[in-house]
Amino acid sequence: MNDTHSRDVPSRAKRLALAVLLAAVLPGSARAATLKVVTTTEGLAALAREVAGDRASVESLSRGIQDPHFVDANPVLAVKLRQADLLVDVGLDLEVGWLPPLVNQSRNAEIQPGGRRRLTAAGAISVLEVPTGPVDRSQGDIHPAGNPHFLSDPRRALQVATAIAAKLSELDPAGAAAYSARLADFRRRIAADEKRWAAELAPLKGRKVVTQHKTLSYFLDWSGLVAAGFVEPKPGVPAPPAHLADLVGVVKAEGVKAILVENYYDPKSASVVAQHGGARVVTLPGDVGGTEAARTYEGYMDQIVRLVVEAERA
Amino acid sequence: MVSLVVSWLLAAAAGRAAPAAPETGPAEERRKLEEQIAKELGASPAPAAAAAAAGQGIATAPTGGSPLARVLLLPDISAIGDFALAYDTLQPGQRAPASGPALDAHRLTPQLQEAELALQAVVDPYARADVFLTLDDQGIEVEEAFITTLSLPAGLQAKAGTFRSPFGRLNGLHRHVWDFVDTPASFQRLLGGDGLKGPGLDLSWLAPLPWFLELHLDYQSTTPGFSATRSLTGLARLLQYFDLSDAMTLGVGLSAGPLSQTGPDAWRDLAGADVYLRIRPPAGRAYVALQGEIYARRYRGTVDPTDPSIAEEGTRAGGYGQVVWRWSPYFKAGARYDQGPVGAVWPSGVQRDVALLAGWLPSEFMRLRLQASYSRLPGQVNGFGGLLSLEFSIGAHGAHPF
Repeated sequence: MNDTHSRDVPSRAKRLALAVLLAAVLPGSARAATLKVVTTTEGLAALAREVAGDRASVESLSRGIQDPHFVDANPVLAVKLRQADLLVDVGLDLEVGWLPPLVNQSRNAEIQPGGRRRLTAAGAISVLEVPTGPVDRSQGDIHPAGNPHFLSDPRRALQVATAIAAKLSELDPAGAAAYSARLADFRRRIAADEKRWAAELAPLKGRKVVTQHKTLSYFLDWSGLVAAGFVEPKPGVPAPPAHLADLVGVVKAEGVKAILVENYYDPKSASVVAQHGGARVVTLPGDVGGTEAARTYEGYMDQIVRLVVEAERA
Repeated sequence: MVSLVVSWLLAAAAGRAAPAAPETGPAEERRKLEEQIAKELGASPAPAAAAAAAGQGIATAPTGGSPLARVLLLPDISAIGDFALAYDTLQPGQRAPASGPALDAHRLTPQLQEAELALQAVVDPYARADVFLTLDDQGIEVEEAFITTLSLPAGLQAKAGTFRSPFGRLNGLHRHVWDFVDTPASFQRLLGGDGLKGPGLDLSWLAPLPWFLELHLDYQSTTPGFSATRSLTGLARLLQYFDLSDAMTLGVGLSAGPLSQTGPDAWRDLAGADVYLRIRPPAGRAYVALQGEIYARRYRGTVDPTDPSIAEEGTRAGGYGQVVWRWSPYFKAGARYDQGPVGAVWPSGVQRDVALLAGWLPSEFMRLRLQASYSRLPGQVNGFGGLLSLEFSIGAHGAHPF
């Protein structure tokens, strides 16, 4: 009797396997009512989560601890893009070394550049460091369209969040009111945060810092701090001892207290400069998710502001 | 004052109207309407949707239009140069067919291994095109020139033109993507010095599964180094990638297919398996990559006495395994073991090679590599080779495959 019963009724394991298979095979629209949003970075994913709430599942292709210039074009990532209802990328050639082949492999026509389900965040902000003269690789591994590291400026992050909310509303009109309400709430929270951050950073206005790469130009633009120099002599070019020796001189002459380095960079060169120049290396999360404390966009900015302020007050 | 107020009101009205894109109703109604229109037109709605979407990215031009219009329409253009200083103790015939220019024994010889010119752009909302021309001492050759569809339904993608065949891992890669300066002898002997490529059509399908599974069906006219004439070639390739952990990705592939030969009912069958394991903790740029392939080739059918290339019959097989370690953005090293059939001057036998590699990458656009190899051949013949390779890249070159 038991044997007959076990033959007639699929076992729990079989049903589970069938469910997993169906979930994998059925198109996204039949599987769930929520939008599937894929972003290239954790910072963009955090902003998408702020405005989408539970109306969308949000996933980032890269991790916050990764250098976004050098993500592998792992074909497994193309699977995530295959059923994406929306792809949000940074743009300005930040992902040029890995995103284009993944988009092509995904066979998702609407997330191609300019597609209805593609949002390039750089289109929502004013871009810094756009080259105005001739550009070539003698200037290092520069971004010819301008600096793409703009999410360390909360003003620009809000502009990106606004663009994401508008795109989500376009793709999911029924959720427009919800996106708008969540965006308004995020805007209120960031406004309150900004007052607090501004108060903490106000005494530091005009202070000189050194950064590893030009990844913090937007943070400096927002906070009022000034870059006295860079550990990399040119973007992506390793620092020779002569450059580091020059930089030690700059650190001493300008009274630089902090050398800011994202945690995906090797801090060896920065440490040498700090040691000889009497400054300290401040390791910052490179993106949302770069550290335990930086799990949300506010957490990420909170941590950056706190670390910089602590270093300057020391 | 009145004009100011009117201007403000007009601007405010425009500001309200601009972001609110007109909606036709709930998504379901919209989908049904699209299906109805598609039926009425007797066509798939997807390309039209893609075409309409493509236009949305066009920004308003400044007064007088953009003076850069012609420049903006240019494809991405890049050039890659590969030069080497080569030395070998074996004669060219003992190495043939090889992946680089022929080299006289015991002479330290500068070589232009290859210069590649690439032109890459989107053709229209439905396809992109890639053209790769290679130049060397022998002249200019179309390495690849193909279009790839962007908007086929059901996970399908088609590639048409002349292109490297979807057979194994190394065959699909251009020279500047190789880890080592040359290809393994097993590859050269069993797929030809330049590998399998030619004009044809490739249809691939990305399966709707939680991991990457891609199936290729391919029909081409190829001229592999082991065949005296063009071969009509049908290939199938199954490629899968799995994330084993945050830091580890495994790729496995199977490829097989027949190539027509000159004799009546004569075919050469090719089969291969490849594996690729990449270990890269996400927080850094250091990685270790293990890669291996095996190839087998056999002749079947009536032997054409006028074709000297089929003197070898029976099944021939070989393969290689390699490990590459990049411990910083600027340095890498590797080792490769390779075993395959001997070159053309021996009637039969096995060649075993070991190669060691050291590489320096001063930037993302240049690399300097030193490769030393030892070959063991039939009759107690040993060969030593060395290659000092310089490679550079200029212009906007597309991203490299994984």
